[in-house]
Amino acid sequence: MRKQRVFILSGLIPALLLVLAFTYYPFVKGIVMAFQEYKLFDLRSVHFVGLDNFKAAFNDPKFIMALQNSGYWVFFSLILQFLFGLTLALLLKKQFRGRGVYQGFVFYSWALSGFLIGMIWKWMFNSQIGVINDILLHLGLIHERIGFLSDPKWAMISVIIANVWYGVAFFAIMLLAALQSVPSELYEAAVMDGASSFRKLWNVTLPYIMPTIIATTLLRAIWIFNDPTIIYGLTNGGPAGSTHILSSLMLDKIIYGGDYGAASAIGIIMIIILLFYTIFFLSVTKAEKAGDF
Amino acid sequence: MKQRILGLSKFVYLAVYLLIMVFPLYWIVITSLKPQKDIFSFPLKYWPERFTLDNYVHIFKISKFHIYIGNSLLVAITSAVVVLVIAILSAYVLARFKFRGHRQIMLAFFATQMLPGFVALAPLYLMMSSMNLINNRFSLVLMYTVILIPFSTIMLRGFFQRIPASLEEAAMIDGCSRWSALVRIIIPVMLPGIASTFIFAFVQNWNELFLAVMFIDNDALKTLPVAMNSFILKFDVDWGAMSAGAVLSIIPTILLFAFAQRFIVEGLTQGAEKG
Amino acid sequence: MIKRKKVLVSLLCAVVTVGLLAGCSGKNENSGNSGSGDKVTLRMIESLTSPKRTELIQAMVTKFEAANPNIKVEFISPPFDQADNKIRTMLGSDEQLDVLEVRDLTVAEFVNNGYVEPLNAYADKWKDFATVSAVSKSVGTVGDKLYFVPNGLYERQMFYRADWLKEAGLNPPTTWQELYETAKKLTDPAKNRFGFSFRGGAGSNGTTDAMILAFNGDKVNLDDSMFTKDGATIYSTPEAKAAMDLYLKLYKDASPPDSINWGFQEQVQAFTSGVTGILLQDPDVIQSLQEKMAEGTWATAPLVTGPTGKALFAAGGAGWGITSKSKHKEEAWKLVEFLSSPAENTAFSKDYGLIPIHTSATEDEFFKTGPYKTLIDMTDKPDTYVNYKPPFQYPGTGQWGQVTMESGQSLLLNKSNVDDTLKKWDAYWADQKTKLKK
Repeated sequence: MRKQRVFILSGLIPALLLVLAFTYYPFVKGIVMAFQEYKLFDLRSVHFVGLDNFKAAFNDPKFIMALQNSGYWVFFSLILQFLFGLTLALLLKKQFRGRGVYQGFVFYSWALSGFLIGMIWKWMFNSQIGVINDILLHLGLIHERIGFLSDPKWAMISVIIANVWYGVAFFAIMLLAALQSVPSELYEAAVMDGASSFRKLWNVTLPYIMPTIIATTLLRAIWIFNDPTIIYGLTNGGPAGSTHILSSLMLDKIIYGGDYGAASAIGIIMIIILLFYTIFFLSVTKAEKAGDF
Repeated sequence: MKQRILGLSKFVYLAVYLLIMVFPLYWIVITSLKPQKDIFSFPLKYWPERFTLDNYVHIFKISKFHIYIGNSLLVAITSAVVVLVIAILSAYVLARFKFRGHRQIMLAFFATQMLPGFVALAPLYLMMSSMNLINNRFSLVLMYTVILIPFSTIMLRGFFQRIPASLEEAAMIDGCSRWSALVRIIIPVMLPGIASTFIFAFVQNWNELFLAVMFIDNDALKTLPVAMNSFILKFDVDWGAMSAGAVLSIIPTILLFAFAQRFIVEGLTQGAEKG
Repeated sequence: MIKRKKVLVSLLCAVVTVGLLAGCSGKNENSGNSGSGDKVTLRMIESLTSPKRTELIQAMVTKFEAANPNIKVEFISPPFDQADNKIRTMLGSDEQLDVLEVRDLTVAEFVNNGYVEPLNAYADKWKDFATVSAVSKSVGTVGDKLYFVPNGLYERQMFYRADWLKEAGLNPPTTWQELYETAKKLTDPAKNRFGFSFRGGAGSNGTTDAMILAFNGDKVNLDDSMFTKDGATIYSTPEAKAAMDLYLKLYKDASPPDSINWGFQEQVQAFTSGVTGILLQDPDVIQSLQEKMAEGTWATAPLVTGPTGKALFAAGGAGWGITSKSKHKEEAWKLVEFLSSPAENTAFSKDYGLIPIHTSATEDEFFKTGPYKTLIDMTDKPDTYVNYKPPFQYPGTGQWGQVTMESGQSLLLNKSNVDDTLKKWDAYWADQKTKLKK
């Protein structure tokens, strides 16, 4: 028993210590700033201001817009990534010649950095010398160039397109792996019952891979919500703050404004939203299926 | 007939999807091979009239990409390996034992995924500075490791749970200690899962930008993403250099991915099987 | 298979070992300055990074090291986009930093926090200080103290497509009204051609402020340029409204719709790629234009004037300052003095495309011909091209770009009107004034 305790401790201590010291400790220090006027501009007047930073956030139309955008951003990115990912995984389930190569070419986006993806799409979306406008014009689908990144009507759609392009691979990989693990006996039983392919999918496949779907979706949503890098590279929040999501707005406050108080306040609000989301998601999808996080 | 149409639409879907995924890559490669003047010339050229390696020469000569690539490889691989060692241990313990605080530890790991990291950027800088680690690649190895421990633990724990405990119990009855059972019996079985965790860690490290900008000063210690970020200039983005850099930074991940794809899918499949 | 695995494992082990060792040795490099012998290590950081510029500065630094064998300089060049944030963070920590690039945009903040050392005492002993132009001194000064020696100046001028104007039989515009009319004539969306390289994104206040200042003309208090001589803000006058009405027309009739989100990058790119015909920019784009455009397709002209025939312009710039926490201020000044010497500064200005800081250098043939000539011409007509002092002493200057960009974009998108926008700007500066007085 003693031996076991030693084993447990020695196995956990490195991981725990590192995470506590270098994630939680600095994070708590950062959180304190949310209750301070903490602007790099004037470090001599750093002082506690209670909830002022939160009040300021909710009075700022830019914050409200970012809050809304975060909703669109997560919802549409997630749904589309999931649907395309699932379709792709289903189509790739059966072995065919060249499947390996094919996977290599459609999955690689997952290995790129958000910053790079932002830059690549910024280059392609450019309304003057961008290739997407050029192609659409040649195809006769549009007659006037579209300001994909400058027209607020389009900008949010454009960044979501880039994000979907990036994230389908992640879903596809995870779901493909899950699909391949569905025992063939289950299908055989369904075939004997004379089920159509759609029925098979609905009654056999999806229930079986549900735990993977839940775990992947939950985690992916949190990452999408938290990651500002694609937006940083693509629009940096413009035009007129119309593509800021909460995380990119927070980054903006730090990099260009040096306002750590405001940034931390946004950070806390983000955590609260994620907490609610997680509780809600797990209770709706019946937590036990997702494994005990 | 129905089968035919189904097969055809499947083919069309896959083909269109392939085109959408590959075109940006093609466009970046083509841009990187165009001379500076042609990149901006109008109308757009879908196949360059003149090919040049100038952009590549430029990023190696002016921007010393070989050094950055070396640094990125060093930092990304070192950290990924250290993560594996630490996370295998913690994941194994969390998979095999129930003890007081088990649930809390899992929650603590899971919760790190929710923290918006930038809040901690300034305190982290001060910590690194007081530990004399600024301008030292070790700071990156350390932080990348820390960032990846929770997710890797969660992921590897899933793999461990799917390996029957009877496997190492048998070995332990044969006189193996738990350690040697872990190293000799379990880990080899888990290899595909470990490979996919490694690749995940490597990719994250290879791409990280913001910490690398803050923590590293000297040119000789910079990583690839920082160098790429430097192509955003005051007046324009140096698209020639940017695209050449992008191509180079994509190659290792694609190679790794192609090489290890079998492992990843196999690993994840195996993981999911016993779920 | 097993063999391959073994090779892989040993390779990984090797990399990890090297990684850990490299980490340790990197540390020694860093702290090598602590009193070992007489050799002093200075740490210096730049802000306006570009690979080419870094190379030029590094070359000067190497020269300096050769001339001063007891001083070693560690030169840090963070990516431009995150440089100021990095500099701030370094200044707020105990990391060693001796010489830093201060920008006109950041100087107020650094002074405010006591990060930078006044240089007057050093400059007084510097033999070449006499030839540093008054404008350069004023750019580096806050209150009555010099905080940085500029490494070159920027002044806005006009770049235009000489071939397009010739084709259309037009002369380069001299007033804002003419600029609008000319730009409108050049605009043909069907051909993807637009008259004006508009900038509605980052730095949009470059255009709005220039127009409002030019329209206000003589009313402006040149030493406190966000305010008129009566003490009201320049945004509260009827002239400001006229300026903004024209601004709006300039966007709607003569600029690419996309340009609402353009920063300098897109603005310059559009000009070099033949999408737009008129560009207002600083001289450091000249190199980029020379690289990307055929000779003879473009030319320069002075800044356009307002209805009263005046154009107000400000010199901007960045330069070298010394941190107040530096332990090697004498050596740091030596470096600043070297970088700012007539020989080095003139060479750097030529190579990078800036106006040199020494009056003696404008005698150089290089600046008397070609695209730089316009700037010298503007200096020769101080009654038309009036130099004003930008409001860098207000801490809110740093945020101003952001404020104008956002409200300006709302205006361009018809989400607000000219009156409300100007009211917002008026309130912003009135507020800055009261804060400063406190």
